Amino acid sequence: MEPSDRDLMGRLAAGDREALGPLMERHHLRVYRIALSYLRDRDEAQDAVQETFVKAYQGAARWDGSAEVAPWLARIAVNHAIDRYRRGRRRLKAETPLDDEDHAQRIAVESPSPERRAMDREAGERITAALGGLPDRQRAVVVLRLYEDMNLDEIARALDMSLGTVKSSLHRALRRMRVTLAGLRP
Amino acid sequence: MTLFHGRWSRRVSLLAAGALVGGERAAALAHVETCAACRAELAAARDVVALLERDPVHAARPPLPFGALLARVQARVTEAEEARRPGAARWAKVAFPLAAAAAILLLVFRSPSSPPRVPAPSAAPRATVSEEALRRLERSAARENAVRYLSEAQDVLVTVAAAPLACDRKRARVDVEEEARRSRELLSRRALLVETDRQEMAGARPVLEDVSDMLREVAALDPCSRPEELEAIQRQMSRRRLLMKIDLMTRELQG
Repeated sequence: MEPSDRDLMGRLAAGDREALGPLMERHHLRVYRIALSYLRDRDEAQDAVQETFVKAYQGAARWDGSAEVAPWLARIAVNHAIDRYRRGRRRLKAETPLDDEDHAQRIAVESPSPERRAMDREAGERITAALGGLPDRQRAVVVLRLYEDMNLDEIARALDMSLGTVKSSLHRALRRMRVTLAGLRP
Repeated sequence: MTLFHGRWSRRVSLLAAGALVGGERAAALAHVETCAACRAELAAARDVVALLERDPVHAARPPLPFGALLARVQARVTEAEEARRPGAARWAKVAFPLAAAAAILLLVFRSPSSPPRVPAPSAAPRATVSEEALRRLERSAARENAVRYLSEAQDVLVTVAAAPLACDRKRARVDVEEEARRSRELLSRRALLVETDRQEMAGARPVLEDVSDMLREVAALDPCSRPEELEAIQRQMSRRRLLMKIDLMTRELQG
C-alpha cells in the first residue's frame, strides 16, 4: 500500500530524506504548474519547485498535521513564487510567451490543427501579458483559484489574507483581465 | 440600478470563477436571472475564465526529468544541512559535490523501467568507480557549483541594476536590504561553492573575482541606500560588462 501524504510528512519531520521522493513524485507537477502560472518562465518555475520541496523538508517538523499537504505545499510554492518575482521583477520575462513545446503538449490533447495551434499560442501570449499586468496578490489569487481550484478559505489561509480581501482581489483581477483579454475568444 | 448592480457585481465575478457554493451560489444565479446587466457581466467574466482554462500552463511539465529534479532537491537539502553544521565546511566542500554528482550519475545510468527511487545523497556509490571517473565527477560538480554561484550572484546584481523599490520616498532612498543580505550570504558560501584553485576553473577565475568584488560592494550598502551609491555600482557593472560576462561564463561552464 502506498504511504499517505501524512505518513510521508511524518517521515520527513523525522529527517528521513527518502520520503522526499514519493512526496515529490505525487506533487511536483502541481507545484510546477502553480509556479509556472505565476512566474511564466519555465526555468524560474523549475527552480521554484526545488526551493518549495527544500522548504517543505526543512519545515516538515513544523507542519500542522491538521492541514492537508497539497494546500500546504501550494502555500509554500505561491509565496515563494511571489517572493521570487518581486526580487527579480525586472529580470523575469513576464511578457515572454511559453515556448512551442508547452503549447504542443497542450494542443496534442485538444487539437492537431495548425489553426488551433496558432490560436492557442496567441492565447498563451495574451494570458501571460494579462496576468503580468495584475498586482502580485491579485495574480496569486487568480492562480490558486483558477489554476489550482483552491476554495476561497484555502486561498485566504495560503496568502494570509482575509476572506473579504480574497473575494475583492478575485473580482478586481477578473474585471481587469476582461479589459486586457478583450477581443480574444475562448 | 447602478447601486443595486454594484452590490452584485463582486458576486457575479465569484460565480464565474466557480467560487460560490450552496445558498450564495443559488442566490447569485437567481439574481442573474432577473438582471440583464449582471447576465452580460457574467458572460464576460466566464469568457475570461474560459480563456485561462486554455492556458498551456495546465499541461506543462518541468524541463528536467523527475529523477534529475529529485536529485537536485536532495543535493540542496544536503548543502543546506552541511552549511548549518559548524565545522563541516571542509567536509562538505568535498562530499557535497561528490554526493550530488553521484546521485545524478546513478540517475543517468538507471534503467528507464526501474522505479523512481533515488539513493540517499550521503550514501557512497556501491559500484567500483575508477579514479578517472571520480575526477570527472569532481570536475563536473565543481563546474555545477560555480554555475550556481554565478546564477545566484546574477540574481542579486540584476536586481541592483534594475533600481530596487524605494524605501523612503521623502529622503529618496532605495531598499537594498535583501540584496545586501544575499550578497553577504553568497560571499560566505563562496569558499564552499567555488574552487578557484582547480585547473579547469582557471578560465572562470577573472569573472568570479569580478563578481565577488561587486557582491562585496553590494554587501557593504546601507539597507536604505542613496540612489547615487547604487548608480556607482551600476556604472562599475556596466564598465566591466559583468552581466554579459556572467552569461557567457555560465554557458561555458555548462559546456
